[in-house]
Amino acid sequence: MKLILSDRPLHFPILADDIRYFDLSALKIANCVGCFGCWTKTPGRCVIRDDATRIYPCIAASDRLLYVSRLRYGSYDSVMKTMLERAIPVQQAFIRIHCRETHHVQRAVTPKKATIIVYADTEIEEEERQIFRQLVIRNAYNMNFESFEILFTTESQVNDLAKEFVAQWKKY
Amino acid sequence: MEKVLILNGSPRAPKSNSKRYAEIFMRYSSNEVTYQNITRKNHLELCATLDGYSDLLLVFPLYADALPVGVLEFLKVLEANPPQHRPVISILINCGFLEYKQNKVAMQMMELFCRRNGYRLGAQLMLGSGEAILDSPFRFIAVRNIRKLARSIERGTYRTFCATMPLPKKIFQWAANRYWTIYGKRLGITKEQMQTMKIESQNS
Repeated sequence: MKLILSDRPLHFPILADDIRYFDLSALKIANCVGCFGCWTKTPGRCVIRDDATRIYPCIAASDRLLYVSRLRYGSYDSVMKTMLERAIPVQQAFIRIHCRETHHVQRAVTPKKATIIVYADTEIEEEERQIFRQLVIRNAYNMNFESFEILFTTESQVNDLAKEFVAQWKKY
Repeated sequence: MEKVLILNGSPRAPKSNSKRYAEIFMRYSSNEVTYQNITRKNHLELCATLDGYSDLLLVFPLYADALPVGVLEFLKVLEANPPQHRPVISILINCGFLEYKQNKVAMQMMELFCRRNGYRLGAQLMLGSGEAILDSPFRFIAVRNIRKLARSIERGTYRTFCATMPLPKKIFQWAANRYWTIYGKRLGITKEQMQTMKIESQNS
């Protein structure tokens, strides 16, 4: 399954049998409250029953992933970051040693190829790109990315870039 | 005497480890220190409050490898509503993993924010094993480093510190897994239940 998560509406036809698309800006997703309920009370299920509960199972099940997010201080901006924080039920509380570091054990998370399109109002400076690359390297350990690519762009071009990328998905 | 405002950016601020770290800081700081939680609704109020302080200490946990979204939201409001006199911004980040270096990316995000918005970056403390260290025999390591952080802010030397439990990874893994097993047991959940591979009751 292929999954698209975007923090803004994407204006092009996406429909395909094997593609799920969520415009996060149109959904109701509360902030994680850090209760550890998804690890210790209802393992694998978030105690906050909002739209996030439809999305993190898709993150886990996808083998191709496209995130589209505004960049903020080298991080995903709030809309995408809120969703990623709510995806903690895909992990267990327990610790494993992975790539010579301690990380949480994953539940049934399919290894995935991830593409992340990040955008800003203007050209993104190199320092901020570097910070974001380091962030995605860390995400890769914790979200089972077997490979990833990052595409930096401007707000005016993000829709076209996403459209081009999804067209390639449909082609192959 | 300098005035320090501590802002707790933990999503569970009133019951957080970050609050416990802030309390240790207050015990060892001879500056005048005020503590507040960052909530969803008080960002503007906090920005206005900052004018009276020489130093801001942000305390928060690493969240999904980066700043918690509550801190991110606060920084966006602060960027749009800067105080007339910008305080020096010091940072204490803790993560539950053994390696304090896993906090580094979040620290770089704070550095970028400070540079772009004209704030001097102050002292920094990166804590590993931060979920459990205060209730372990290694509590003194966290306390000692928080005391150093307080001294560094007092003296205006603004140094960088890092600390974690001095354990081999395998032992840390064993201890952490035991900690979580006991945590679940108190709630009536077995280790096997916590280890379910199902997400939202479905096999992915």
